[in-house]
Amino acid sequence: MPSPLPDSRPLVELRGVTKSYAEGDSVREVLSGTSLTLHRGEFVVLLGRSGSGKSTLLNLISGIDQATQGEILVEGRDLGRMKERERTLLRRERVGFIFQAFNLLPTLTVEENVRLPLELLGRTGTEASARAHELLTRVGLSGRAGSFPDRLSGGEQQRVAVARALAHAPPLLLADEPTGNLDEETGKHVLDLLEGLTRQGDTCALVVTHEPGMAARADRVLTMEGGRLVERPGGARRVTS
Amino acid sequence: MRALLARSSLRHLGGHPWLTALSLLGIAMGVAVVVSIDLASGSALRAFEQSTDVVAGKATHQIVGGTSGLPEGVYTALKLRSDAPAAAPVVQGFVQVEGGNQRTLTLLGLDPFSEAPFRDFSTGNAVGDVGALLTKPGAVVMGAKTAQALGVKAGDTLPVMVSGLRKELHVAALLSPAQEATERALESLVISDLSTAQEVLEQQGKLTRVDLSLPDGEAQAARLRAALPQGAELVQTSGRAGTVEQMTRAFRTNLTALSLLALVVGMFLIYNTMTFSVVQRRGMLGRLRAVGVTRGELFGLVLGEALVLGVVGTTAGLLLGILMASGLVGLITRTINDLYFVVNVRRLSLEPFTLIKGLGLGLGATVLAALVPAWEAARATPVTALRRSTEEDVSHRRAPQRALLGLGLLALSVGLLAWPTQALPPAYAGLFGVMMGTALLVPWVTEKLTLAAAWPLGALFGPLGRMAARGVTASLSRTAVALAALMVAVATTVGVGLMVSSFRGTVVSWLEAALQADVFVSPPSLVARRGDSAMVPGLAEKLRATPGVVASGSIRVVQVRVGEVETDLLAIDFAQGQERSYRFKEGSTEDIWRQVDASPDVLLVSEPFAFHRKVRAGDTLRVSTDKGPHDFRVGGVYFDYGSDVGTVLMPRATYDHWYADRSVTGLSLFAAPGLDVDELVSRVRDRAGGEQALNVRANKVLRQTSLEVFDRTFTITQVLRLLAIGVAFVGVLSALMSLQLERAREFAVLRATGLTPGQLWGMVSLQTGLLGLLAGLFSIPLGLALAYVLVHVINQRSFGWTLQLVVAPGVVVQAMVLALVAAALAGLYPAWRMARANPAMALREE
Amino acid sequence: MGRGLVIGVVVVLAALGVAVGVVMRDTEEALLDGSGTMTVASALGGGDGGMEGYTRAVEPRPFRFPEDHGPHPDFRTEWWYWTGNLETEDGRAFGYQFTVFRSALAPEKPERGSAWGTRQIAMAHFTVTDVSAGRFHVTERFSRAALGLAGAEGSPFRVWVQDWDVRSEGTASTWPMRLRAQGDGVTLDLVMDEGKPPVLQGDRGLSQKGAEKGNASYYYSMTRMPSRGTVSVGGQTVSVKGESWMDREWSTSALGPDLVGWDWFALQLSDGSELMNYQLRDKAGKADPFSAGAWVPATGESVHLTREDVKLEVLATWKSPRGGEYPARWRISVPKLSLDLTVTPKLENQELPVSVRYWEGAVSLEGTREGKPVQGRGYVELTGYADAPRSEDVTTRSRTP
Repeated sequence: MPSPLPDSRPLVELRGVTKSYAEGDSVREVLSGTSLTLHRGEFVVLLGRSGSGKSTLLNLISGIDQATQGEILVEGRDLGRMKERERTLLRRERVGFIFQAFNLLPTLTVEENVRLPLELLGRTGTEASARAHELLTRVGLSGRAGSFPDRLSGGEQQRVAVARALAHAPPLLLADEPTGNLDEETGKHVLDLLEGLTRQGDTCALVVTHEPGMAARADRVLTMEGGRLVERPGGARRVTS
Repeated sequence: MRALLARSSLRHLGGHPWLTALSLLGIAMGVAVVVSIDLASGSALRAFEQSTDVVAGKATHQIVGGTSGLPEGVYTALKLRSDAPAAAPVVQGFVQVEGGNQRTLTLLGLDPFSEAPFRDFSTGNAVGDVGALLTKPGAVVMGAKTAQALGVKAGDTLPVMVSGLRKELHVAALLSPAQEATERALESLVISDLSTAQEVLEQQGKLTRVDLSLPDGEAQAARLRAALPQGAELVQTSGRAGTVEQMTRAFRTNLTALSLLALVVGMFLIYNTMTFSVVQRRGMLGRLRAVGVTRGELFGLVLGEALVLGVVGTTAGLLLGILMASGLVGLITRTINDLYFVVNVRRLSLEPFTLIKGLGLGLGATVLAALVPAWEAARATPVTALRRSTEEDVSHRRAPQRALLGLGLLALSVGLLAWPTQALPPAYAGLFGVMMGTALLVPWVTEKLTLAAAWPLGALFGPLGRMAARGVTASLSRTAVALAALMVAVATTVGVGLMVSSFRGTVVSWLEAALQADVFVSPPSLVARRGDSAMVPGLAEKLRATPGVVASGSIRVVQVRVGEVETDLLAIDFAQGQERSYRFKEGSTEDIWRQVDASPDVLLVSEPFAFHRKVRAGDTLRVSTDKGPHDFRVGGVYFDYGSDVGTVLMPRATYDHWYADRSVTGLSLFAAPGLDVDELVSRVRDRAGGEQALNVRANKVLRQTSLEVFDRTFTITQVLRLLAIGVAFVGVLSALMSLQLERAREFAVLRATGLTPGQLWGMVSLQTGLLGLLAGLFSIPLGLALAYVLVHVINQRSFGWTLQLVVAPGVVVQAMVLALVAAALAGLYPAWRMARANPAMALREE
Repeated sequence: MGRGLVIGVVVVLAALGVAVGVVMRDTEEALLDGSGTMTVASALGGGDGGMEGYTRAVEPRPFRFPEDHGPHPDFRTEWWYWTGNLETEDGRAFGYQFTVFRSALAPEKPERGSAWGTRQIAMAHFTVTDVSAGRFHVTERFSRAALGLAGAEGSPFRVWVQDWDVRSEGTASTWPMRLRAQGDGVTLDLVMDEGKPPVLQGDRGLSQKGAEKGNASYYYSMTRMPSRGTVSVGGQTVSVKGESWMDREWSTSALGPDLVGWDWFALQLSDGSELMNYQLRDKAGKADPFSAGAWVPATGESVHLTREDVKLEVLATWKSPRGGEYPARWRISVPKLSLDLTVTPKLENQELPVSVRYWEGAVSLEGTREGKPVQGRGYVELTGYADAPRSEDVTTRSRTP
């Protein structure tokens, strides 16, 4: 449920996080000593070259992957001390995900895809349907609710993915190059939607992108460089408490 | 499970209708084979038990006689006692209906005046003249259904053959018992007055037994026993009831085990299907994980899918099993009739327990087979993008580990098989372990072999050939599973095939050694492998004196109680001056014969007898004789493949010493040098005349007839093997097909880059062919190993037979052909589909 | 998605189901609805052989004793019927019945290879009424008359069914006879003297049963045989004394189909006389004209009684727990003899629950004879009162007097 009460705690906090992968005999460090704080309602853009560790950072924050060193706290809870199942449930409740490759479930209809996060949280029936319809209307796809994803264009699929990611109004939205597979025009439309919906719902969005124009909309702009984060304020920087 | 996830699962199954259908077929066939065998052999056994129960009635004890029956005076003396118990005299034997289907019927001669406490044929209605039963010679009553089947009605005459003699029965009345069990038992029964039975069976003055009801139990039995004449024994019926069950246990266990092999093959199919669906959906599973579906939920999801398949497949399997059983019951009955006893099974009895067992087996096997794929699914990492190569990397990296694990499992299984015990469960566990262990070796061996195959294939077919070979290794995670499933399926057919051929080879060489005389004479017998009829008195002597016979021997086969269990006793009069054709398991042949000939207290036992009764040379056996029970020393153990229950043997002189019976069951005649055997056969036939129908057979013919009987008794095994081949075929088809269908996108890319449909077809065929070849190759060593275990461990432990493992090239070739043909067929549909499909569509599909 | 698969699966399952249904369907026709059972009853009925070939009772014949105590195998049925009332010294009363029925299944002796082949079969009933204990002991036995299992011989006299037998004590003379039987917890061992000479019933022993010629039996009775011996009940053996009655009858013909049963009385009076009377009943419960009786005075010739001579009145009835209602007390008066008696069963339940149910039991009586009080005892047989008796069974299972 979206929390109406303002929370002074940071939503996400990374403290000296290091992540390294073993590749054969050598060890490749992707993140080294990264620290980061994200707050509710922030729209944050993460830039960086391919392979700079952006996706790794998202995986760490969502609990999909685990840090080699350092602490990751989501709403004050240390992911490193949580069991796998707890992390999964945290993700289910608090995180929305948008992928570059849309990653809709091909065996579910558009509406069912959007309803999935709600149903996973036990919210079924008319309420879930209404919510799914509301979101689909907002992304302009209410007419395609019964279609299967492979009948949709890329832009439409990604709009469904946006609707799905926000269906349960998660406090944290992670988007991994959501426009990477789309043309500029469509990408912009998707980003508009993403931004609009995020700001409405007091959600913190962390968007990985190559789109230089994105920085202008963001509250904060982060850049991955050599395993480290460099921050500069975005064009829409506003003051948060 | 969340409704949406379940729906997603079902849509996935529905989205691959051919694969789903094939795996359903796999489960259905596996279950069907087990259920049908269970039902069919159960029906045969129950039919026998029911008729035994109805025939044996409510007797608590029985008085039985020696080999020549029980003098009827034993009964009258008993009845005239002041403390006479409820007792009913019985004369029982078999008659074969002349003409028509030559059905064998049990003729049960009863005294209606003594029957009330024992048997109850009268709860229903009878039609016709029952009083005639007592006064009209040859009068019988039979079940209305039996009469219907034989095409007779009350008042008709029914000609029958008894030990080669023609007799006439008159149907006096028909019985229609109200109780189904009685009615069933009546299906193979004709009932007559005792007088008629004695006359028809040539048993004047004799009874088969006297049924007793002794409410006071052993005390009463002991009192009565004291007054019994020599040779008559009073025994408890409970001790005899289990004999049938015991006699056929090994046979039925083996059938069940073979049918379970079919289920194991089916399990591999399920495993293959489920693994495939997991591997195929790895990306999707990853997405679900990313969205927040827990591992437990994914595990349940896959198990649930398997369960749905299991329920549908098992239901179909049960129905199919019932259908197959109604076909198999005839075969099993035939086999039981050839091997053990006369039983008529007219109907399948649908035992709910058997069906529930089948249901449990089907569902259990499905869930068990789905456990590993479900675990794999649960392990899926929440991926944001599909990284196929990593999976394959993992699969390649794990191949050697798995191979090591497989070797370990093999070592363990060999240990289990070598464990010196007679118990069957460890043997079956070992057998299963060998299969699993070999299956684990598959990925590593496949990788090595295909790498090696790439070069020659490349040389032969160019880049497409190399690609076909590489495709196998490149998707090792999928090919290895399919290959393992195929290998197990094909190897099973090889193993069972080799077991049968080994058995046959052993029997052939045994027959060659055992049948030495030129001509054999015997009355027709009802149980093919047992001589249970006798020649009419005087005829044997007459035939032995046929001009041109230089030497002759005789055999008498009777049932005696050895340690309270009915056993076939062979009394042999060896032909003078001819070598005795028995071979002994241990000890010097000459010493053994010297002992046996010297003392009337020594007998010989066959290998299965020694095995089942756990006796060895030098042990003592209590055998009932006409002079009362006597302890015989076991002189030796001889090889014999004629009876799996075992027989005991003594020279005719010993037999004559202990038994009053002077009948002869069969003769062996040696022709004078230079005399044509066929000439001797016709001389013997002429001399025998029409006195008694006799089988007069030359050595060659008898050998051939014996082998025909052997083959008949193995028909059921062959059918099982064919069924296993069927399941294996479905397996090959579904495994390879799914493999190719799964690569739709890859093929689309190839098509897009300019591969013609023909070339694509060629490549797919090449690859499935390669896989078929590999599966065939892998199945040969595993099949040999299975055959070895079946022949030397399982057969030995079930029947006690020493068999020689004979590798029949035909069986091996068959396996290769099976694998290759199925593989070729499996390539057809995917190649056709891909060649036709619009590559753009495939490329678009996720 | 996958609709084809679902449809396919459903179709295949349905087809399999139908196939199984077809295979398992019992194609056999409904059971034949026949009559008669393969029971000893129908065997005793003598099959459908009819009376062809058997000797029949057409006219009076000379009776010769002891030969006529023995069997008459050319007639279809024959019985030896002993009943009697016995007492211990201290007055404990017993009644007993011992009956052997012989039944021929064929008129000719068959040629058989088996010794079990025979045309003669035997049935025996043995009852003891333990009056003071209120118990009625019944045993029934069947046997073929072959291999020495059962049979009858005239000289020396012997009738036996397995180890039950009645035989002459010595070889020289028929009397005394010794009866030995046991069953249902009682043993009877009795020695009987001849007592009064045989009484020929009906017309010099020819007892006419119906209007048709030959529908008759030869019938004589030994009405008062002094008896002594032992009865063993519950492991206790007591000495008893009393008087027995023997009925002997052989015939071929059966009773008419409209008769359902009869009431038979064999009464021994304290004045030394005996009264035998049977009343044949038709379906309406009326007495048949061929009902008859005899009065045997203490000395001298017996007197034949017709239906008109005897008045029989039922005073009470008893309901059998197995079904059916029996008369249980009678007033018998024979005006021409100035005889007026009330007959009461010593035990209500003396019903034999054997292959065909009937009541046969010890009775006591009191009344007047020519104005003087008399007492006495005897036996009564009641047939055809149990539910739905089949006439063929009745005629063969129990005797026709």
